[in-house]
Amino acid sequence: MVTSRIRRRGDRSPNTLGFFVMTGISQATRREFLKAGAAVAAAPYVITSTALGNADRPAASDRIVMAGIGIGNMGRGDQNAFLGRKDVQYVAMCDVREAVREKSKATVDAKYNNQDCQAYNDFRELLARPDIDAVHIATPDHWHAILTIEACRNGKDVYCQKPETLTLREGPLMVAAARRYGRVVSGGSQRVLGDYRKYVDPVWAGELGTIKSINVNVKPLPMLCNLPAEEMAEKIDWDLWLGPAPWGPYNSKRCSGAYSINGSSWRSFSDYSGGGMTDWGAHHFGGALFICDVRELQPTEINYHDAADGPWLSYRYPNGLVLTHNRPKTDNLAIEGTPGEKRPGKPVPMYKGDNSIYGDFIQCVKTRERPFRDIELAVNTAVVSHLGNIAYQLRRSLKWDAARQEFPGDDEANRLTDRARREPWVL
Amino acid sequence: MSAESLTAALTALQQYDWGTDTAVLAAIDDAIAAAHSNESVRKDLEARLIAALQSNLSRDAKDCVCRKLMIIGTAACVPAVASLLDKPEHAHMARFVLERMPAPEAAQALRDALGKLDGNLKIGVIGSLGAHRDTGAVAVLAPALRSNDAAVARAAAWALGAIGTADAAAALQATLSSADGNKSPMIDGLLACAESLLKQQPAAARAIYQSLAGDDQSRLVRLAATRGMLACASAES
Repeated sequence: MVTSRIRRRGDRSPNTLGFFVMTGISQATRREFLKAGAAVAAAPYVITSTALGNADRPAASDRIVMAGIGIGNMGRGDQNAFLGRKDVQYVAMCDVREAVREKSKATVDAKYNNQDCQAYNDFRELLARPDIDAVHIATPDHWHAILTIEACRNGKDVYCQKPETLTLREGPLMVAAARRYGRVVSGGSQRVLGDYRKYVDPVWAGELGTIKSINVNVKPLPMLCNLPAEEMAEKIDWDLWLGPAPWGPYNSKRCSGAYSINGSSWRSFSDYSGGGMTDWGAHHFGGALFICDVRELQPTEINYHDAADGPWLSYRYPNGLVLTHNRPKTDNLAIEGTPGEKRPGKPVPMYKGDNSIYGDFIQCVKTRERPFRDIELAVNTAVVSHLGNIAYQLRRSLKWDAARQEFPGDDEANRLTDRARREPWVL
Repeated sequence: MSAESLTAALTALQQYDWGTDTAVLAAIDDAIAAAHSNESVRKDLEARLIAALQSNLSRDAKDCVCRKLMIIGTAACVPAVASLLDKPEHAHMARFVLERMPAPEAAQALRDALGKLDGNLKIGVIGSLGAHRDTGAVAVLAPALRSNDAAVARAAAWALGAIGTADAAAALQATLSSADGNKSPMIDGLLACAESLLKQQPAAARAIYQSLAGDDQSRLVRLAATRGMLACASAES
């Protein structure tokens, strides 16, 4: 017997309302999507043991139906992580590179021993599918905000790779979309909880007393991309790769997803990324904010120090914490506490579900809780990186009003809180 | 930063194109940093950048000029920049300058361009007016909600949502009630307006949410409206 307890787009109501809603959409409807995308299946419907589930795997009706957008280096890892979960049914992927689409689809189809994974060049077709519950996004950064917001508008939960934003204005818009539509939206740094426990545990236990300062070392700053045109050596939808970013000619380094930030990948260039400040900054700044328990705050001052060894920054937080960036002769994550002081301990926030950022996201999709890297917290990390990039670009200190999301009375800096998007992309 | 190095950088723009080492423009960035505390430096730099923009430069070089004017440009550069809004190769970078500029002349130039453009160029300007949160643009954006070009209508709905005033909400409500086709962008715009109005005009926000809470709306929208009404109740109490 086919169960009618099947979820549909928007059926997982938010925890703010405190209940779940089940609909009567039939199992056959979902399977038709799995089989043939948006087309109506003509063949008779056969219930398989895979659909019904077993002791090791939930029935199809209880799995989270997922898809991925941007299946390059990071996206491939994310895809494999979600594909490996028994409580996920992975049904579609999207990438502007033909070879990536073919490889990614083959990976999914091999996992399920079928040909059902739908491959898309245009994310809008994927997001329009009502059978998909959640998407993971691992495109270059200049696409993150548009994709996340559009996914929320279409009732999808979102796991978005870090750095979640390219500009300051994008963050509040992403948070607003998530809250508006009651979506679970998680940022993507697995290192924030995974790599810094040796710092987190003693600080949260109160052993270091009041934390006065912490230092983060990341580099480099983003650079302008002016690479020359190259013959296109791959089948790629170049206009869609560029998307909202300024037009530039195809160059394999411009669109390379390599992890280096030295001018040979999109991570290096300001049109697509905040450079090392956002790329590794998402991890290190994210870790520093977690260690010091200021994940919910944004700094009020960014002080620019023009030292002989090179410029560095000190951010001041409303609670008095000073976060420094590239402070001379200071180790990454060097923490200055208050000697002799012991503060009351507090429990360290952890992942929900199994012990991974992916499990945390999936568990929250099921329960409607906020994930460990809830988009609002992830945005607060990205803000540190963006504020820093602006201070370095303008070569001076800045004041920041987090409530108004502006630099008070600073016309130049305020212009750099966002940038116009290439038509027809609108945020 | 010396006057000679700035002149050399501006001269280098004449040969600048894809593949040119960006270091040749470093002196312009130095001048921008210096301009913050020196109005005469800023004014001189802006004038020279305007002259460059109006000369026969490559697309890439004009892009670079717009990136600099985005930071230091004033009403003085608006005519030169706005003249690029109908040029497919330059329109985006012209909006780089105008969208972020607080001078009222910038928003006016975008509004003026709206009626002369179609397709993607029009969508771009609509998006810029929304991002600019130009409250004076509601009257020119409202007709775009009824555009036969669905992408134009969608962009207008989102732009009005970004502006978020009671006037913007009224324009969306007026069109929504008689609209055919995909109403989702207008509903999204209305929800965004309600969020903007919630603190200062909770009654207006609540009216929007109530209008979207009926059974004729999708479950996603009904839940959004219900959450909004709860937020209004909280704000009013």
